[in-house]
Amino acid sequence: MKLLTHNMLTSHVKGVTKGYPLLIKATEVKVNEVEFNSQFVSRMIPKLEWSALVQAAEGLGHLEDLSAELVADYENNEEFLKKVHKVLLEVEVVEGSLQCPESGREFPISRGVPNMLLNEDEV
Amino acid sequence: MELSEASVNAVKMSKERKKLIRKQMKSCHILLKHDGIRTASHVTKSLVVANGGLGNGVSREQLCAAMKEMGELETIIMSPHKPYAFATYSSEQSAQKAHGLLNGHLLHCGDNSVTLYLSFVDSVPCEAEEHVPLPEGLSLVEDFVSSEEEALLLAAVDWVTFDDDTAQKALKHRRVKHYGYEFRYDTNNVEKDKPLSVGLPDECVPILERCLKDGHIGAMPDQLTVNQYQPGQGIPPHVDTHSAFEDTILSLSLGSKTVMEFRHPDGRVVAVLLPGRSLLVMKGESRHLWSHGITPRKFDMVPACHPEPPAAITPDLGNPGNLTLSKRGTRTSFTFRRIRRSPCQCAFPSACDSQGAPSSLPSAPSLPRCQGDAARLEEEYVHRVYDAIAPHFSGTRHSPWPRVCDFLSSLVPGAVLADVGCGNGKYLGVNPEVVALGCDRSSALVHICAERGFQAFVSDALNVPMLTASCDACISIAVIHHFSTPERRLAAVRELMRLLKPGGRALIYVWALEQEYNKQRSKYLKHQSREPSRSPNTAEGQSEDSASPKRTVNSHGDVGITNVDRLDTEVSGPVDQRPGEDQVHHGKLSVHTNRTAFNSQDLLVPWHLKDGKGKAGKGRKGGREAGNRDVIRETALAVSKDNPSIAENILPSIGPASDCKTEPTDSNRRSTPPDSMSAKVATPNACLDSSLPSSTKDTDHARKSCPGFEAAATPAIPESSTAAAVFHRYYHVFQQGEIEKVCCQVDGVKVQTSYHDQGNWCVILVKD
Repeated sequence: MKLLTHNMLTSHVKGVTKGYPLLIKATEVKVNEVEFNSQFVSRMIPKLEWSALVQAAEGLGHLEDLSAELVADYENNEEFLKKVHKVLLEVEVVEGSLQCPESGREFPISRGVPNMLLNEDEV
Repeated sequence: MELSEASVNAVKMSKERKKLIRKQMKSCHILLKHDGIRTASHVTKSLVVANGGLGNGVSREQLCAAMKEMGELETIIMSPHKPYAFATYSSEQSAQKAHGLLNGHLLHCGDNSVTLYLSFVDSVPCEAEEHVPLPEGLSLVEDFVSSEEEALLLAAVDWVTFDDDTAQKALKHRRVKHYGYEFRYDTNNVEKDKPLSVGLPDECVPILERCLKDGHIGAMPDQLTVNQYQPGQGIPPHVDTHSAFEDTILSLSLGSKTVMEFRHPDGRVVAVLLPGRSLLVMKGESRHLWSHGITPRKFDMVPACHPEPPAAITPDLGNPGNLTLSKRGTRTSFTFRRIRRSPCQCAFPSACDSQGAPSSLPSAPSLPRCQGDAARLEEEYVHRVYDAIAPHFSGTRHSPWPRVCDFLSSLVPGAVLADVGCGNGKYLGVNPEVVALGCDRSSALVHICAERGFQAFVSDALNVPMLTASCDACISIAVIHHFSTPERRLAAVRELMRLLKPGGRALIYVWALEQEYNKQRSKYLKHQSREPSRSPNTAEGQSEDSASPKRTVNSHGDVGITNVDRLDTEVSGPVDQRPGEDQVHHGKLSVHTNRTAFNSQDLLVPWHLKDGKGKAGKGRKGGREAGNRDVIRETALAVSKDNPSIAENILPSIGPASDCKTEPTDSNRRSTPPDSMSAKVATPNACLDSSLPSSTKDTDHARKSCPGFEAAATPAIPESSTAAAVFHRYYHVFQQGEIEKVCCQVDGVKVQTSYHDQGNWCVILVKD
């Protein structure tokens, strides 16, 4: 699970109102090499919940000195975009879980795949 | 001024405490809202433990262990599937202590951890016990063999022959081995003139002599079937063929206990706990009329304290009782039977093949009448199937459909795309400029996506864990037709639209009832006309990437559509007389014959998994050759009024069906006559009162037996033909105009385009 994906996921347990962002509990993380496309990264940024990304990256120990606030004029800041690229697309949680911040319910991540299926009584 | 350490700590604690109180209040609120449980604000002797229930994966032992430490514990009540438990202490003091120490406590249960929230309650549900008798003719003898004997018997089985069995491995079926005579699935009977070269192992002899001596049987059995079940494996409900075997059937449970469910034609279900080393004796009604099966699962709900043997576990109807979860281990059953040499003349002709009934009595489903039924139907006939066939399925799904690609290519770079029901990720890489996220209900398929480098997660299409209005576009290709009620299909569309931002677009493809459109037959039908005997398995021809993956005229041959105005006009019904949706409502699900036109909207479509073809299909037809080696052909479901439940297990049908049990009527060993059974509570899986569909085809086929519902493992001796495995998937195929009607029921959504593409009805929707 890349952090880009994590940024889009939320807890959907019944009754939970503040299920985003999910807390990451990682037991295995890897960093892949992914081809850098500055335009792609640039386009992604406005779609992200920036603070959730920073929080997640920090939690994994891969903050890469990304600032808590978005840099102004990031489209032209290649260095910045490269850092974002790494955090967003290269860092991957292989094993661990995603935890609902409100109910504590954990969703396992196994071989890079989060299992977000709910039980009958959580739906 | 600096804060002292103490007051800093006090502030810290108070923050955590506030958080805990908040969460606890939330749990109280949820308990009240969903379960009507009122919590008390004063101290009482009883507590409700939220998150400490069987539904949370917490076992009775685990909870008891945690709670006992707090004081004298009187009772613990755990209802099946509930996410809470009740505990009553003998004093308020103990309860208060428990509350203080366990509220907010993280309880570790194996792989699982839960945070408990405790609240006082004025009352707890009361327990009542129901006594349910075992089926007539059934009895259970505990401790029939010693541990040493058990070990000897288990060692006597040589499983080596099976390790090469790819189909068995791929399908994760229980292992089966026969001695004496082989049971054949194509005839659903034994080859009585061809005994196997291997007779019953010597180790069985003392055990059988004991059975004789104890009066369970009158003559030595000459056939043995050994079944080995891993946790999560089972066997579909069935009645052992009357004409094949004599009355009494014995089954020894070794290695682990399990719960076996007996179903009577009138709808009664009795779940029976079979302890390890016990002997089940099945005679009379329990052997001839009741079906028996083992639900494939990893945990059973069993009585907490060992009940008076033998125990029938009663259906729990709001009766909490003292249940606990029991994890399954590997169970090996030895089923001894005696070949019947003359026609059966039992008193149960409705189930008797010697007296005219179809020889196999698989359970067959009908349309669900409630959410629970629907979910269960889909679990059996969609989810389990995809998980089992995932690699094979993925191998046949490699060419993205052009018009779907068109939609994907039309998205602006940087668009966020959700593919709900992404399968093997076929569409996730089509447009590399978009951010594609896939989700699917099948974990096996999602892992295939991950292996291919795509981002995907496991989720249900009715409840996608993404924020509202987070996507620029969504696709749902060949997904919604797997939902078994109109409400669920509508809910699926709603959920898809919820994900969209205003102005976002969704593309939906569903299989069409009308496979011929504008005089063009779909590829699905076309393959049939070209080569009638080939590939029995082409599930959705339109999605099958066989002969010509390149664009053909046909894929654009769907003229005469995409006129939005058309949607405003009254939708014309299909040309032939097809059952309308209301008619189908009470209907029965028929099994479709691949490569032919659909004759009903709700059906089960066979998928043939050829032995050894668990890997991706090769060649033109995805590597599946029909041939005379295929023992199984599409057949109508043999349906009998006598098996009124939804099949627990639609694992393919190869291998011996039965795991039969018998009961002693007059034994001195610890067996008790059926009517003195005491029963504790448990909930058998899916005791649904579904009526059976009538067979759409002749009963001849039925006699050849619906393989779909028999057990699934390869026959012991390779000399038998390589039977193929058949799975059935549930589909609701859509009539012209139907998907648009569903979409129009969703607020804030407009149908932008609609068209027919190779046997599918397709819509593009826009969110306001």
